[in-house]
Amino acid sequence: MSKKEEQPDRLRQFISWVDGDREPKDRTLFVMEQRPHRDFRPSEEEFERREKDRLRKFFNWYPIAAAVICVALGIILFTTVMNMPGFGQEDNPINNEVAERYLKRSEEETGSENVVTAMIIGYRGFDTLGESCVLFLAVSAVMILLLRDRKNTSEHELQQMEREETAAQGRSDLILKQVAWVLLPFIFLFAIYVLLNGETSPGGGFSGGTILGAGLILFSAAFGHGHMRVLMNQRRYSAVRTFGLLLYAVLYGVYIFIGANGLPNYLTGMILLIDLAVGLVVACTVYGFYALFSRGEI
Amino acid sequence: MLEEIIQNRYAVTAVILFGIGFTNLMLQQNLLRKVIGFNIMDSAVFLLLASLGYIDGGVAPIVGDRGFDPLYINPIPSGLVLTGIVVSVSITAFSLALIQRIYRRYGTIEMRELLERAKKEDD
Amino acid sequence: MIVLEYILLVGVIVCAIAAPLCKRLLASVIVYMALSLMMAVLWSLLQSPDLAITEAAVGAGVTSILFFLTLKKIHALKGTRDE
Repeated sequence: MSKKEEQPDRLRQFISWVDGDREPKDRTLFVMEQRPHRDFRPSEEEFERREKDRLRKFFNWYPIAAAVICVALGIILFTTVMNMPGFGQEDNPINNEVAERYLKRSEEETGSENVVTAMIIGYRGFDTLGESCVLFLAVSAVMILLLRDRKNTSEHELQQMEREETAAQGRSDLILKQVAWVLLPFIFLFAIYVLLNGETSPGGGFSGGTILGAGLILFSAAFGHGHMRVLMNQRRYSAVRTFGLLLYAVLYGVYIFIGANGLPNYLTGMILLIDLAVGLVVACTVYGFYALFSRGEI
Repeated sequence: MLEEIIQNRYAVTAVILFGIGFTNLMLQQNLLRKVIGFNIMDSAVFLLLASLGYIDGGVAPIVGDRGFDPLYINPIPSGLVLTGIVVSVSITAFSLALIQRIYRRYGTIEMRELLERAKKEDD
Repeated sequence: MIVLEYILLVGVIVCAIAAPLCKRLLASVIVYMALSLMMAVLWSLLQSPDLAITEAAVGAGVTSILFFLTLKKIHALKGTRDE
């Protein structure tokens, strides 16, 4: 019975702890390891002097140790490289039957002429799923560190940001605007071309996604984020980001289920769709970094 | 010796880059320069990997109907490096975000001052 | 072709040495950007056009922009309007 009553209380404490409350109200959630009590307590100056001494000693020894480690590492790596098989030879151990098989059969097995794309999306798509998750988590982590909202921003900072925003709108950069006006259609066209032609030419999800993200960054920098906000606000951004990752997971699941492992491949356009999902995730990641770095919000 | 270096020129360059990057990571006092050193290390690893897959006279692994059968380079290192490049961006972004927070908290990104200030606040 | 290769390899090493030694942080970042561009050309020499496209967009574009924004936030851009 008592547990049930405790639960919301604890939950509230935990929430307040997550929100940045240093010391929970009446019960300590986590007890720090306590140092054993010392009888001898050095005076304030003595303590400070000793600390400074230790820090100085550390800074004296650190460069020497670091230099020794660097030199040792360099020598080890250099001797290793000297004993490596020659550059560019056909019978190097890395060119084994795996690469041969990818080169020979990727076109009929995945329907993609570009073997790199076939490898990333088709044969090793599970790997790429993990990597998309890394990108997703990276944006989330940067968001935790840099997002400004009412809880972690003071009134003064908010006012300053508003002033900066109005100032930025006042001094619009003519050269940047005109150049962006000319360049942006071509950048987006190239991004879409690279994204859609990952199967037959160099490119694919990662390259196209980064170019698309760079185009979004240029748009946002040239025309101010007032215009950008029409296209993308916080809620829509999160939705698109999550949608890309989920789309990837679902599509790759379907792909494994119907096509992989020696079964005949019924859907030839699958690589293209998965590429689009990857491109969506990467573009959102790149643009999210820019938005969070430049103004602390999407 | 010289012949071997010229033979393995990409790998030697990669090792030198890695050494420079590692030295910077260890010895620079400025956190931002540490991140640049880290990025140089990244580039070195990618260069080594990509050079391993190269074959003299090979062409990019795009298997089309070309009418003849050329020698293709190894596609596996290219694929691995492609994902690595994109992940390295996100690592850079995360460390830069951490640097911004450190600056907001302590007002400096020089290692020595940072340690002193952090120690002072601990007491 | 082989001359271009040697020039690029030496250039990459020179950039890597120069980037952290520059006095101003802005110069460091710009030299690092040049290193990234050279890497992009090297990759197209190594017959990996996928890598070249990605590196050109990422190394010279996105990473440098993130570095510049960080420099602005830590007030290391001298001679700009923020000072």
